[in-house]
Amino acid sequence: MMVGRKVTESILGKDIISEGVSEEVAAIISAALMHVPFDGWSNDALSAGAVDAGIEPERVSACFPAGPVDAIVAYIAMADADMVSAFEAFEDKPEKVHLMIRSLVLIRLEQASAHKEAVRRALTVLALPTNAGQSARTLYRTVDSMWRAAGQQDTDFSFYTKRATLAAVYSATLLAWMADTSSDMAATEAFLDRRLRDVARIPQMTGPARSIFAAGQKLAEGIVGGVGPRAGR
Amino acid sequence: MTNRRDIERFLRVDHAGERAAQQIYKGQLVVLRNHSSGEEIQHMMEQEIEHLETFEALLNERQVRPSLLDPIWGAAGFALGLVTASMGPKAAMACTIAVEEVIGDHYAKQAEQLGEDEADLHKTISRFRDDELEHRDIAVSHDGREARHYRVLKNVIQTGCRTAIKVAERL
Repeated sequence: MMVGRKVTESILGKDIISEGVSEEVAAIISAALMHVPFDGWSNDALSAGAVDAGIEPERVSACFPAGPVDAIVAYIAMADADMVSAFEAFEDKPEKVHLMIRSLVLIRLEQASAHKEAVRRALTVLALPTNAGQSARTLYRTVDSMWRAAGQQDTDFSFYTKRATLAAVYSATLLAWMADTSSDMAATEAFLDRRLRDVARIPQMTGPARSIFAAGQKLAEGIVGGVGPRAGR
Repeated sequence: MTNRRDIERFLRVDHAGERAAQQIYKGQLVVLRNHSSGEEIQHMMEQEIEHLETFEALLNERQVRPSLLDPIWGAAGFALGLVTASMGPKAAMACTIAVEEVIGDHYAKQAEQLGEDEADLHKTISRFRDDELEHRDIAVSHDGREARHYRVLKNVIQTGCRTAIKVAERL
C-alpha cells in the first residue's frame, strides 16, 4: 500500500523522484520522529525508529539509500499528504482561494507542531548546499499540493507564478513559525496574513502578462485588417 | 507498463503543441476570416481547441506541469499563422500541411510507445492524429502545395516544429 498521492514531477526535466511513500518507510519515520530531536536526522535515529516500529534496523539502508536526507524527503511527502487529507476533511472550506491557501498553511504548521524540533533539524539538513536540489524539490511539491488542494488547475504560465509566489510565502512563514514561541501560533498567523496579501495579488501579477499578449494580438489584427484586401487574393 | 516520466513528457509536449496549433489557426483567421477558406480554418481551429482542452484536463488529472515556455508556444503559433496567411491563402494552407504532417507523425510515434496500461490515452492520441491528418488533407485540397516556394516554406516550418517539440519535451 502506498501512503500519500503519487508525487512524481519533474522540474526542468529533472526527476523529483518519490513514488509516494511505502508503508515501511512511513512506519520507520513516524517512530523515528521521537528520536530525531536527540540524535538529529541520522542513521541512529532511523534505526531506533525501525526498532520501535518492529522493523529490522538493517532495513534502514535499503529504505533510505541516500541516507537521512531520503528520510527527510519522505517525511515531507507524508506531511504534504496529511495536510491535504486534513484540508479535504474540512466541513466548510473557505471559498476564496487565498483563504484556502491560508488554511492549508496553518493546517500544515499545526500538524508539524508536535515535531517542531524535528522540522528545525530537517531544515538545517536541507540548507546544506549539497541538498539544494532536494530542498527545492520538496518545497515545490509542498506548494504544488497546496495549489492543487485549493482546486487550482492552471495549464498556462500562471501555474508557475502561483507556485513561485507561494513558495516564497510558505518558506518565509515556516521560518516565522520556527521563531514563534507562543502556544497558539498567534505570531505565525499574523505573519502569514501579511504575506498572504502577496498571494491575493496573484491575479494582478499574471494579469499584465496576459493583457500585453492580448494587446499584441489586437494590434496585429488592426495592422493586418488595414491591408485586408491583399489577403483576399 | 508505460513509464511515468514518458507520460509526463508526452502530455507536456502535446499540450504545448495543441496550444500552438490553436494559435496558428487563430492567427490565420485574423487575415482569412472572410476568405472562402475561412470556414474550414474555423472548423480546424475548433478541433484544435477540443484537443487542447483534453490535454488541459489530462495535465491536471495526472498532475503534470505544463511547459515552462507555454506563453512562447502560444505567441509563436499565432505569429506563424499570421505571417503565412499574410503571404496568401495558399501559403497558409502550405503551413497547415507542414505543421499537421509533423504533428501527425509525432502522435503516431507516441502511440507506439504507449503500453497496454494506457489504452485510453492511446485511443485519444490516435483519434487526434486522424484529425491532424484530416487537416493536412483539407489543406492539400485547398492547393497548399501550389504556394510559392512551397518546399522552402515547408522545410523551414517543419524544422521549427521539430525543434519546438524537442524543447517542449524538456522544458
